[in-house]
Amino acid sequence: MQPIISRFLLVVAAVILLAACSGGETNVASGNRLGILHFGNGSEPQGLDPHVVTGVPENKIIRALFEGLAVKNPYTLEPEPGVAQSWDISEDGRVITFHINPEAKWSNGDPMRASDYVWSWQRLLSPALGGEYAYMLYPLANAQAFHKGEITDFNEVGVKALDDHTLQVTLDERTPYFIQLMDHYSTFAVHPPTIEKFGKATDRYTPWTRVENIVSNGAFRLKKWELNRRIELEKSDTYWDRDKVRLNGIIYYPTENVVSEERMFRVGQLHYTNSVPLGKIPVYKEMPDSPYMQEPYLGTYYYLLNTLVPPTDNLNVRKALSMAVDRDKLNATVLKGTNISAYSITPPDTLGYYPPRLFSYDPERARALLAEAGYPDGKGWPGLELTYNTSEDHRKIAVALQQMWKDVLNIEVTLTNQEWKVYLDSITNMHFQIARRGWIGDYVDPNNFLDLFLTGGGNNNTGFADPRYDEMILKKAPRAVTKEERFAVFHEAETLLMEQMPIIPVYTYTSKHLIHPSVQGLPPNLMDSLNLKYVWLEDIEQATETDD
Amino acid sequence: MNTQTINDIAQAEQGTSLWKDAWLRLRKNHLAVFGLVTLVLFIVIALLTPWIAPYSYQAQNLELGASPPSAAHWLGTDIFGRDLMTQIMYGGRISLAVGFVATTVALLIGVTWGAVAGYVGGRADAVMMRLVDILYALPFMIFIVLLTVVFGRNMLLLFLAIGAVEWLTMARIMRGQVQSLRQQEFVEAAISLGLSPATLIRRHLVPNALGPIIVYTTLTIPNVMLLEAFLSFLGLGIQPPQTSWGLLISYGAETMEEYPWLLIFPGLALTLTLFSLNFLGDGLRDALDVRGAKD
Repeated sequence: MQPIISRFLLVVAAVILLAACSGGETNVASGNRLGILHFGNGSEPQGLDPHVVTGVPENKIIRALFEGLAVKNPYTLEPEPGVAQSWDISEDGRVITFHINPEAKWSNGDPMRASDYVWSWQRLLSPALGGEYAYMLYPLANAQAFHKGEITDFNEVGVKALDDHTLQVTLDERTPYFIQLMDHYSTFAVHPPTIEKFGKATDRYTPWTRVENIVSNGAFRLKKWELNRRIELEKSDTYWDRDKVRLNGIIYYPTENVVSEERMFRVGQLHYTNSVPLGKIPVYKEMPDSPYMQEPYLGTYYYLLNTLVPPTDNLNVRKALSMAVDRDKLNATVLKGTNISAYSITPPDTLGYYPPRLFSYDPERARALLAEAGYPDGKGWPGLELTYNTSEDHRKIAVALQQMWKDVLNIEVTLTNQEWKVYLDSITNMHFQIARRGWIGDYVDPNNFLDLFLTGGGNNNTGFADPRYDEMILKKAPRAVTKEERFAVFHEAETLLMEQMPIIPVYTYTSKHLIHPSVQGLPPNLMDSLNLKYVWLEDIEQATETDD
Repeated sequence: MNTQTINDIAQAEQGTSLWKDAWLRLRKNHLAVFGLVTLVLFIVIALLTPWIAPYSYQAQNLELGASPPSAAHWLGTDIFGRDLMTQIMYGGRISLAVGFVATTVALLIGVTWGAVAGYVGGRADAVMMRLVDILYALPFMIFIVLLTVVFGRNMLLLFLAIGAVEWLTMARIMRGQVQSLRQQEFVEAAISLGLSPATLIRRHLVPNALGPIIVYTTLTIPNVMLLEAFLSFLGLGIQPPQTSWGLLISYGAETMEEYPWLLIFPGLALTLTLFSLNFLGDGLRDALDVRGAKD
């Protein structure tokens, strides 16, 4: 049946394509001619203020509009010069001096100054702004105290403009990933006069991000914003590295519905899709010269276990639940082989770090553990409620797990789906027994996953608390001198974590996109990180003609 | 005159009673009979499902996954390898139950409310209908969400909650009908004969308004079924592994290009039910139309 359907799909696609061609030029064709990338971006951004927004769709636009002190090279993920042309790190790793490129300019022609960064970081760390990502700057000396309101003098925070082109940063501890943070949009500089023109520095959602007002410093600038339809960017002529930028523009489309996004791609309206519907993946995989791109992604899909309420307060119950999940089977069937089974929180090969693996799918052992917990063959089971946010794919996984638990442990688990905001509330207030969760890395370092489970951490949400664990993550790891030493501490901590099983890891994410063959310079990487500065479009048909 | 002839005459007169007459007329309407038979068949299947379903509705066979119709699974399987026919049978139990229970609730409240308002008229009518207007203005989703939040998730409650918001239109239709009927001579005759208002409404007004009510009822049932699917999708209705036709269809629609049978068969079941209801409704309206020629 499968091949027949895929052939049918191809025919349908061909017919639609023909119809589209005869009706006029497709977006892809005109885009290739004019150097404009048509980009499926998931959903309409919340806003474009780098210090206020938090989502992935916002990230993809902001990183084209703005640039950080250092940027990740999309091929290697190693930091390379951005606004800063170079940086020096002191012997003890605690003082970093950034040398700002004198050519770096704002889109209105103003030069970029070191003081812009001091101003911007003060803005992000101001309690009044309420920036969700303020903790990104916590490695700075006294940043946390300033953000919590314990000190009010920003001069005490470890960032100083030595002159117009030199920014000096002082850290609490050696932080090997600090340079990486400079490519996170929350640490980007904004143009102080523009923001002050439209309100106080700490006002959220002022009109400064509107097309006619916004001043940015990236490879592109905002040209047009039609709400819920498209956001157009054009190449910036003030960007310091403009000669390397090959695209003339980018058009972002909000594509919340993955099914219609895939259709848009099929009829040549998009160069790049944000996602691919699960059911279509096998079809695309079989295609010759498939536009389907799947790569490991620095993120983990897991279930939170509430360790403070019965029956999940019992360690044996938690272990039994986790061991009864046949991740490989789930992955091969429901998930169409698109992900990697996970047995711990940190994705494997995070900067060369591999998490410990303490258990496998083991129905016998799971049953024995459940019996030890006092529920032999599910007898006396008090019931369990699994909460997930409303989504087709989350439902599929939950339904499959529900039955695995029924088959292996003979226990009943009920499912509850909640709308996104209600679900976030339930998670934060720990009104759940089991809840779905996913965590996507903000920077490539095991620390980004392991510091989730610090005692009382905002994203811990399991009740897991262990002073030895906190000690290792907060004290021992930052003081480790070599990478090996540091990873050994992480490994020990993660072993401690998984012995307590406050979560059920399910899989490591992969990024999945449909990318038109004309798109070049878009290498796959672990962060699914794009640097659109390096992207160009090549007209495939013309290229083959010249080859002949 | 012997007793035999008296009986004959009595029997002959009994033979033309309102309901028997309606039944005779209904039987002549082939579409209506088809609808009735299909509905009864579906209801019987739904009642017997736990005993006659070919597979367990929970048991998954992940290796099999979504498979097209075959000898083992007549209607194919869903993405979890569960038999689709079993799913549709179990889904039918919920969908039919929700359809009939909620509609009955709506019917009872709506008809009574509308008939009383229309008959009494005056200030009472104004108050009662303004209340309906106010309820109309409330977003019904919020109302149902509130009900489920306050009383917890309970299937019977869900049925009642849906019924409780669906009666408004019914009340308006009924009131309009009763108001126009009130002006007619036979009602005035009944009043002058001294019938109590309750009897009058029951004996004369409601039967005469049956036509539009039946048509609207047949429209309410599918509405209610879809509403249930919508609520379940939001997490306020039924939850997996339980299912309903509405849910099966909404899942099937998402994968209709890859696994079309997951949309087609539940869709067929729902469509067939709705057509049957409409045919039967049409037939009943014609059959029960007391104003029609009685020959």
